[in-house]
Amino acid sequence: MFDPKVKGAALQAAARGDFSSLPIFRPEIECADRLTIERIQLEKLQAQVAWAYNRVPWYQKKMDDAGVSPSDIKTLRDVTKLPFTDKTALRDTFPFGLFAVPLEEVEELHASSGTTGKPIVVGYTKQDMDTWADCIMRLAQMAGVVPGDRAQMAFGYGMFTGGFGLHYGLQRLGCMMIPAGSGNTERHIDMIHDYGTTVLVATPSYAMHICEVGEQLGFDWESSTLRVGLFGGEPCPPALKAEIESRMHIVCTDNYGLTEVNGPGVSGECLASRDMQHIAEDHYLWEIIDPETGEQLPAGEEGELVLTPLDKQAIPVLRYRTHDLTRVVTEPCACGRTLARMQKVRSRSDDMLIIRGTNVFPSQVEDVLSGIEGVTTHYKILVETQNGMDKMTVLTELKPEAFSDSFDEMNKFRSNVEDKLRSVLQVSAKVKLVEPGGIERTTGKSKHVEDRRAK
Amino acid sequence: MSVSQISVFLESEPGHLHRILDMFEDGNVSVRGYCAADTGDYGIVRFVVDKPEVALKLLQNSGCAAKMSNVLCLRMVDKPGELARVMAIFAEHAINVVYSYSLISTYIALSVSDVESAETILKGEPVELVSQEDLEQYSYTV
Repeated sequence: MFDPKVKGAALQAAARGDFSSLPIFRPEIECADRLTIERIQLEKLQAQVAWAYNRVPWYQKKMDDAGVSPSDIKTLRDVTKLPFTDKTALRDTFPFGLFAVPLEEVEELHASSGTTGKPIVVGYTKQDMDTWADCIMRLAQMAGVVPGDRAQMAFGYGMFTGGFGLHYGLQRLGCMMIPAGSGNTERHIDMIHDYGTTVLVATPSYAMHICEVGEQLGFDWESSTLRVGLFGGEPCPPALKAEIESRMHIVCTDNYGLTEVNGPGVSGECLASRDMQHIAEDHYLWEIIDPETGEQLPAGEEGELVLTPLDKQAIPVLRYRTHDLTRVVTEPCACGRTLARMQKVRSRSDDMLIIRGTNVFPSQVEDVLSGIEGVTTHYKILVETQNGMDKMTVLTELKPEAFSDSFDEMNKFRSNVEDKLRSVLQVSAKVKLVEPGGIERTTGKSKHVEDRRAK
Repeated sequence: MSVSQISVFLESEPGHLHRILDMFEDGNVSVRGYCAADTGDYGIVRFVVDKPEVALKLLQNSGCAAKMSNVLCLRMVDKPGELARVMAIFAEHAINVVYSYSLISTYIALSVSDVESAETILKGEPVELVSQEDLEQYSYTV
């Protein structure tokens, strides 16, 4: 379960099954009994629903239409009276339609790709930034990160929540931040060596790439200062994580989050139950629903995760449908925490793909292709792992009239399609032009995606 | 005097070229020469055939991406230095050969940017241009 050569006494103890030397950031919450947690949740839920209702006309109308008012929330179970919020809500109200505070009170904006051309944009007040940092500090400590650690960021910064989110939280915890950003792998390895980096923040696929490039350069991971990998931005297959751990001699954890409800930090993996992630339950109310009927399912059953952030000021989000499939257990964990644990998400109830940390919907690809003369609307998305990285190929059919008897022209045509896809998807895709009629026609829900990555 | 060339957009996958050739056989179209190169995951396969109009129709009816264009066709003598002699003429007149491939016997097809002016130039040179009719009437036994 752990690489035997993990570094540091606390992690070595954890490798032996003794988690008592690992820090717990906020034990009064993280180790509280269920009644205490539920009391905090109900109090915050009532305030949050009122906040949304009183300040955001969109919620007021939606709740009025559903015949529910903030005073109807008397128990946690009453959350089911509230209508769901879907990704489309943020798209339809773009950019600031769901904001509950004047923009003067918003400290920062972040965004992720939406289902169509427009992004999902979210804002944070000072208190929201504090909440977010609180979540990050918890998950960092779950992995054994302590004040004084040197954290090197290999996420891109920019609008993506992962970069600044982890940066602020780790800095607040007392880590020295090394904001290297994404790309330039050899420089990353030099920095780990030169600055004595102890924590690497990266997507798992990029961490694997850093590991391999380091090995090719003869870098000795065993004697390096690096101790912990904090992963995010994309699902982390257990086999990939185990391989990185054994080759870099570190421990790696990943966390769960989504831009619509702050970003990373909704839940984090502890070292005692590595397929599960502790939900920051004082900040997020979780529900598991049947994705077909919308009915709540009992604890322990697998279904779609629905999240209600409990103290979000800038954009309250009530009952957000994540479309991520998981199950949640509430039994106390061997790490000492009592916060509920959700199983790592491996599948979704919709067709969203995560490509190198970026959300991609097949509908976005369809939109782009339908705007290009010269290709048909038949397409296929092929996702593979190449050198540890996600590789997306979009197969699209050339229309006979767009064919040119010149490789130059055909290459230009293909590059143009690739450019258009990249500008909308925010992630590059290789385009493969296929013959007219070359993409299989299926009846009913056509199968547009072939994901060959390991789960 | 130029001849017609049929270009077809084909994926580089087993069976794709065969499918086109089957179609030609069914339509009684005889291939006098062709070229296909390793250009990645898709390719443009070019054919010179005896009945280009028929071939194009067959391809279009089956939904293929195909185009007809003009290329020069020359007939040469099979002896050392002959190809060099012909290319020297092109070089002398600054006619760029975009691509070229050989056909039946010592016939070669050449793609140039301006077929008509190249023809005019070549008429005054010691080369033997071949017409579409020549290709149609070509018989292996001749």
